[in-house]
Amino acid sequence: MGMLRIISRRGDDRRLWNDQDALAGDAEAIAALREVERIFAQERARGATAFRVEAGKPVERLGQFDPQATQIIMVPRVVGG
Amino acid sequence: MDTLVYVALAIMVCVSLVLFWWFNSRAERRARQLLRAVLTEEQYRHLFQRGYLDIPSPSDPQRFYRVPRAHGRVHLIENEILQASLCLQPLDWVPEADFVVIHKLMIEADEQTYLLKANRIVPVNASRRIV
Repeated sequence: MGMLRIISRRGDDRRLWNDQDALAGDAEAIAALREVERIFAQERARGATAFRVEAGKPVERLGQFDPQATQIIMVPRVVGG
Repeated sequence: MDTLVYVALAIMVCVSLVLFWWFNSRAERRARQLLRAVLTEEQYRHLFQRGYLDIPSPSDPQRFYRVPRAHGRVHLIENEILQASLCLQPLDWVPEADFVVIHKLMIEADEQTYLLKANRIVPVNASRRIV
């Protein structure tokens, strides 16, 4: 089970997916996974940066969506103030 | 007639204020949940007791970043001396708690990009110990 959290003016928007169910061919899980991939790509195109954040592991920057990640946090585009 | 207009306007203003308050408090609550999930118990306690979070540099053991809980500049500290104040912010408005999350993730996962993007203000008296 993975969670995509997108930092926004609403705090964060969350999307869940289940990689195992998608691999097993569950249509709903596949649709959810595709939707998360689409949102990931859309946010990246807007300049957001993605990080894999998992307990007990160092934070890692993600260039591409990883369906095996348990938690991905997307930070909106930042600029020098 | 005028009275009715004033009453209607007053109701609209009140409803707008309530909605604004509700929206912001919900966003802040969600941001705090994310902050709680990203920080360890000790980091979270430290942040709320002292008002800042110290994030060690992944590349230099003598360097750390002091991120304020509220909006503000991040201090870059090396060997207990303030080297620079850094200013970096998201283009879109985000709740206050999310600022700490953004700085923490960027520093820990991509320090070089963080330093490249942040505006740097070097203090006049750079030898001042602040720790």
